[in-house]
Amino acid sequence: MRKIDFLHSCSIVSIMMLASVSLSGPALAQNAAGTTVNTAAPRGPVDPGRGPVDPGVRGGAPGAGGPLPGLSPLEQAFFNAATGIFTEVETVPTGLGPRFNLDSCGGCHAQPAAGGSSPPTNPQVAAATTQGANNTLPSFITANGPVREARFVSNPDGTPDGGVHDLFVISGRSDAPGCNIQQPNFAAELARGNVIFRIPTPTFGLGLVESVSDSGLQAALAANAQFKSSLGISGRFNHSGNDGTITRFGWKAQNKSLLVFSGEAYNVEMGVTNDAFPNERETNPSCQFNETPESTTPLTTPTKSSGSPAADYAQDIILFTGFMRLLAPPTPASSTIASAATSSTSTVASASDNIASVLSSGSSMTAAPAISAMQSASTARGQQIFSNVGCGACHVPSLTTGKSPVAALTNVTFQPLSDFALHDMGIGLADGISQGNANGREFRTAPLWGVGQRLFFLHDGRTNDLAVAIQQHQSQGSEANEVVENFRLLSANDQQALLNYLRSL
Amino acid sequence: MRRLLLLGAAICLVGWLAWRYGGVTPLFGTVTAAMPNPEDGKVANGVYTNDYFSLSYPLPQGWAEGLAGPEPSHLGYYALRTLIPRAEPDATILIAAQDTFFADKPLSNAVEAASDFRRAMSEIEGMTIDREPLQMQIADHLVERVDFSGVGLYRAMFVTEARCHLVSFNLTARDPEQLARLALSVNSLSFAGREDVPSPAPACVKNYAIAENLLWKVEPAIPGSAFTPIPVRITIGVDGKVKHVHVIRATADQRKSIEHALAQWQLRPYAAQGRAVEIETGLVFQSKQMGM
Repeated sequence: MRKIDFLHSCSIVSIMMLASVSLSGPALAQNAAGTTVNTAAPRGPVDPGRGPVDPGVRGGAPGAGGPLPGLSPLEQAFFNAATGIFTEVETVPTGLGPRFNLDSCGGCHAQPAAGGSSPPTNPQVAAATTQGANNTLPSFITANGPVREARFVSNPDGTPDGGVHDLFVISGRSDAPGCNIQQPNFAAELARGNVIFRIPTPTFGLGLVESVSDSGLQAALAANAQFKSSLGISGRFNHSGNDGTITRFGWKAQNKSLLVFSGEAYNVEMGVTNDAFPNERETNPSCQFNETPESTTPLTTPTKSSGSPAADYAQDIILFTGFMRLLAPPTPASSTIASAATSSTSTVASASDNIASVLSSGSSMTAAPAISAMQSASTARGQQIFSNVGCGACHVPSLTTGKSPVAALTNVTFQPLSDFALHDMGIGLADGISQGNANGREFRTAPLWGVGQRLFFLHDGRTNDLAVAIQQHQSQGSEANEVVENFRLLSANDQQALLNYLRSL
Repeated sequence: MRRLLLLGAAICLVGWLAWRYGGVTPLFGTVTAAMPNPEDGKVANGVYTNDYFSLSYPLPQGWAEGLAGPEPSHLGYYALRTLIPRAEPDATILIAAQDTFFADKPLSNAVEAASDFRRAMSEIEGMTIDREPLQMQIADHLVERVDFSGVGLYRAMFVTEARCHLVSFNLTARDPEQLARLALSVNSLSFAGREDVPSPAPACVKNYAIAENLLWKVEPAIPGSAFTPIPVRITIGVDGKVKHVHVIRATADQRKSIEHALAQWQLRPYAAQGRAVEIETGLVFQSKQMGM
């Protein structure tokens, strides 16, 4: 009996310790649809029932999807060839699987044009059964929901996992005879709260992002340090474990370059091995149908005849890289341009110069339709609010590229509305996944260019409402808490103006 | 026997509390002895107290703690506490601190900080400087105040220096009258400290833990993420031993490794006016694992 007393005493202590540890971790839960829900919500919605209304996806022609203005004829030819490969649908003979999330880059990166993000109709629903495949659709994939990849937070033994677990297998497909591997048991993993999601990041303008020097990014992060310090914001960069330079692509800025980003996605999301990631992740012998790498640089004769000699000799991931590198940034609504052009500040004036140059370049990009004078005034006000309340402290308005082998990428000032740094987003957005230096609560500042035409927001696509997305920035431990408080303090008109501005981007 | 069991349980609890909150390094003695760190401040009975800065600030009537901010940063920045009204949110206060040993920008005093802040605010489109940096004395501390406004928000930043940190009070309100009321509350700041906390604080000396002052040093084997600076503050006793270690931002493994190494360091005692005195200084560790 006394032994039991002693055990009880230490058990109580152990329970306290465990409680403390678990409380300090991310407070995540999954609802029935597998959507991540913040169990430590901030103090109520921004203004329930009376708050600002997200105007919704901006209509008109997509202000994105074309090439950078000023490309040479050969660069333009490369871009055209690369666009075709980016949107190509893969099958098992061309490398798809054994496990995959979708069969085409352009399927995920589709809204509002090739290179973008999750489209209105989720192509993963059809992909589950293409060519006779007998995949079960996980509960978190819906016809009108976001394209998602799933990551498991931990392994069954409790050690960190963090990796992508593809939704589908090629078992049952007519082009994969004999393969009978099974999908992960997502229902069981959801039940134990072990699944987090990521949606596709838009790739517009990424050549510009890649062309900013590390010192340029560091200067931008340091430039507004005083303002950030009055708002509880700091931030830091993720770094490459290979050469120590700043990494900048992906939700946690975990990918160093567009080439690494392409190679990793080709293998992880589609199962196509390539020169950067040459080995299959799934090694079941009954599901190996091709030589590896499945996409490789031709060493003797070109495999294509596209009108671009360089593209004809390039393997797919080089073409994906080239496509993203030469892809123009999204074009904001004309009212934003007008307001920028009339601004007297040097920062915004440089922005308008760049936008004007894009529009006057004769490129194939089409600006979204002009909006009314009243909307225009509200948008201009929203732009000012964006800076004043502190959104612009992380979503920094402007960066400038250095020298690039592509003239159209050299010394360009552009407006990604991101510092590409990591920030602690608190337990409300935490996904518990560490990548490089980024811990389970840190995310790269999402670039907001093109947000006016995006359908789903935040890393897991949990909402399609910008007002909710703003609110979700606030939770225990988040660097954005003070900025969201500032947003709450605004008048209803000013809150609305901010949303109008965001939808003009 | 029952007493013994209770004693055992108490030892378990104390040991765990020390591990959880103190970061004890048992092999080489306690180097994180009960000394406060900047982030340890708390709100109790309507007063924010921070023993590290010997600071106390009675909250305005009807105010409470807001959501906690992020961990201290790799540049030594602390979002110490957010305060909000219990009723309708019409204002906020953020108490923050920047360790001047590790800041990106070398601002060493409140005057420089206020001037730099004023310049930064004036560069934001639509922001108006309502009050140029104004110097005042609060509780024997030189405090600088800057007021600014834009888009219907009225703000003031009060900044002062304490233990080689720039401690700031950042006030935001919906109207100028509310801001004025909040600003009055800052006059109640006290730097007297609590009677049960040792004082005075050790002098802060920048870059003291350098080769010429080191008599014995063990390099920590820092695991994990490379390329991120790990800022550390240490208190050096009159005997030259490391009396307290505050690893400001690191992973648990990195923290443990650094504390373990620093417990073995021996420095030349710092001398002031011919006698050894206790000081605190800062140093930065960095892991650079790359290549072959």
